[in-house]
Amino acid sequence: MEQFIQEFSQKAISLLCNLPKVEIAKAMNILQAAFERDGRIYVIGNGGSLALATHWVSDFNKTVFSHNLEEHQRRFQAIRLPTTEEELTAWANDVGYEMVFAGPLRNYIQDSDVLIAISSSGNSENIVRAVELARANKVPVIGISGFDGGRLNALSDAKIMIPSNRGEYELVEGIHAIVLHIFTKYFKEYFDHVLLLRKDREELHTATV
Amino acid sequence: MIISSAPMRISFAGGGTDLPDFYTRYPGRVISTAIDKFIFIAINHAPYTNHVAARYSLSEEVSHPSELKNTRIREALLDLGIEKNIEIGSFAPIPARTGLGSSSSFSVALLKGLYAYIGKKLDKREIAEAACRLEIDLVKEPIGKQDQYAAAFGGFNMLQFNPDGTVDVEPVLLDYKKRMALESHLILFFLGTTRDASSVLAEQKANTQKNFETLKRMSDSVPVLKEALLHADFKSAGEMLLEGWTMKKQLASAISNPGIDRLYEIALDCGAWGGKVLGAGGAGCLMMLAPLERRAAVVETLTAGAKAEGFEAACEIPVGFVQTGAEIVVNSYGR
Repeated sequence: MEQFIQEFSQKAISLLCNLPKVEIAKAMNILQAAFERDGRIYVIGNGGSLALATHWVSDFNKTVFSHNLEEHQRRFQAIRLPTTEEELTAWANDVGYEMVFAGPLRNYIQDSDVLIAISSSGNSENIVRAVELARANKVPVIGISGFDGGRLNALSDAKIMIPSNRGEYELVEGIHAIVLHIFTKYFKEYFDHVLLLRKDREELHTATV
Repeated sequence: MIISSAPMRISFAGGGTDLPDFYTRYPGRVISTAIDKFIFIAINHAPYTNHVAARYSLSEEVSHPSELKNTRIREALLDLGIEKNIEIGSFAPIPARTGLGSSSSFSVALLKGLYAYIGKKLDKREIAEAACRLEIDLVKEPIGKQDQYAAAFGGFNMLQFNPDGTVDVEPVLLDYKKRMALESHLILFFLGTTRDASSVLAEQKANTQKNFETLKRMSDSVPVLKEALLHADFKSAGEMLLEGWTMKKQLASAISNPGIDRLYEIALDCGAWGGKVLGAGGAGCLMMLAPLERRAAVVETLTAGAKAEGFEAACEIPVGFVQTGAEIVVNSYGR
C-alpha cells in the first residue's frame, strides 16, 4: 500500500517540478489585464473540473481580497458557467450537451472578458465549442489541460498543459488545483502589496505635510 | 456609441531599430511597457446628418472624409469605406507629442473602434498590423512599428522586428513585486514642450546606413536590459539606459539639445543611475531610473533645473505599468 502511495506522489512531484511556468505567468498577466479593464472571467469544466472551477471562483472573488475586503473598491468578477443547474440541464436537454458552456457564454461574453477552460483531455466537445466562441470574439483563453493537451491546448492563448498519460485524471486534476491556487495566492499577495504601498505613501505624505 | 481605448507606452531601449532600413538587414529589438495613460476614441453613428465630424485638438465637420485635415482619421475612413454619418472624438490625459507613443495609441484605438463600428473584431496582432499599415503605408509617416504593437498588446514586452517584416512579441514576465519596484525607481519627467516626431525620425531614417553599427549595438543591448529588469537589477538597467542614450544621441542631431543635456547631467549628479528622452527625441519626457533614497531629490532638482532652462510647465508625471492593450470600453451598437 505504501508503495502505491509513494509511486503516485512521485509522479505528482515530478509534474510539479516541471510546471509550465511561462504559460502560468502569461495566464496571470491575462487575469491582471481583465482586472484593469474591469472585465469578467468565465470558468468552465466538466465533472471534477467543474468542481475546481467553482472552488476557484469563490477563492478569486473573495479570498483574494479577504485581508482587506472593504479597501478594494474593484474586485475580480469570476463566474462559473453555467451559473445554475437549471441552465445546465436546460441546454443539455433541449439543445445538446455540447452547448452547455457555449450556450450560456454567448449571453455574457463581451470584449473585455477572459475565458478559463479546464479539461484534462482538452478534447471535450462542449469545452472546445465554448473556446471557439471566445476566440471568434477575440477574448483571451486560458487553457488548463492534461494528457497531450488536445484541442484546448492548441486553441489557448495561455497553454497550461500538464503532460501525462491518457486517463491519469487524478494526477492532472490535482495539479490543476495547485495551478489555480497559484493564481489565487499571487493575486492575494499582490493586492496586499498594493495596500501596503498605498499606506506607506499616505504616511509619507502625512509626515511631509 | 463606441468608446475604444489604447495605452501609451514607455520605451526603454532599441528605438530606431524598428525602421525597415534597419530591420530588413538585422533583427531590430525594442523593450517597452504600456502605461496607465490612455487615449480614448468615441465613435458616434449620426444617421440624420450627412457629415463626417472629427473632434480632437481641432473640430472638423466635412461632407466627405477626403476633406479631413486629420490624416489618420481621413485615411482610416477612406480605407474602410465609411463616407458619412459618423462623428469621431478623441480624449487623452496628456498632450500629444510627448514621446509616449500617443499618436500610434491614437491610431490603434481609432482602428479598434472603427472595426467594431463595422461589426468586425480584430485581435491584438491584427490591430497592431492594421495600425502599422494605416500610419506607415497610408499616411506615409516615416515611423517604425514599435508603438503600434505596444499600444495594441499592452503589458511589458520585448518586440523583435524580423527581416521578413514579421514582429515577435515576447512578454517580459515581471512579477508584481519587481514591476512595482521598477515603477518606484522610475521618474517620468514631462518637459512641457512638444515636438513633431516625424522631423527627427526623417533625419534618423536618412542616417540609418551611417548609423548601422550603432543601431546593431542598440538592438543587441535589448535582451541584456531585459535580463537586468527580470533580476530587478535597476542600477544596471539605469546604467544601460545611460549607455543607450549616449548611442541614441548619435543617430540624429535633434534627438537632444543643450537644455536637455544639462537636465540629464544634473539628474546624474543628484544620484540618478541613467535614463533617456522618450520617443523620437528633441523634447517630450525625460525618463530616469534612480535609487529610492535619491528619487525625491532627483525630482526636485529636475523641477528647479527645468525652470532655469525655461521649461515653465515641466513636472513629474506619476506613472504605473498596465497589462491592458487596445480595448472596446463601450459598444452600444451590440456586441
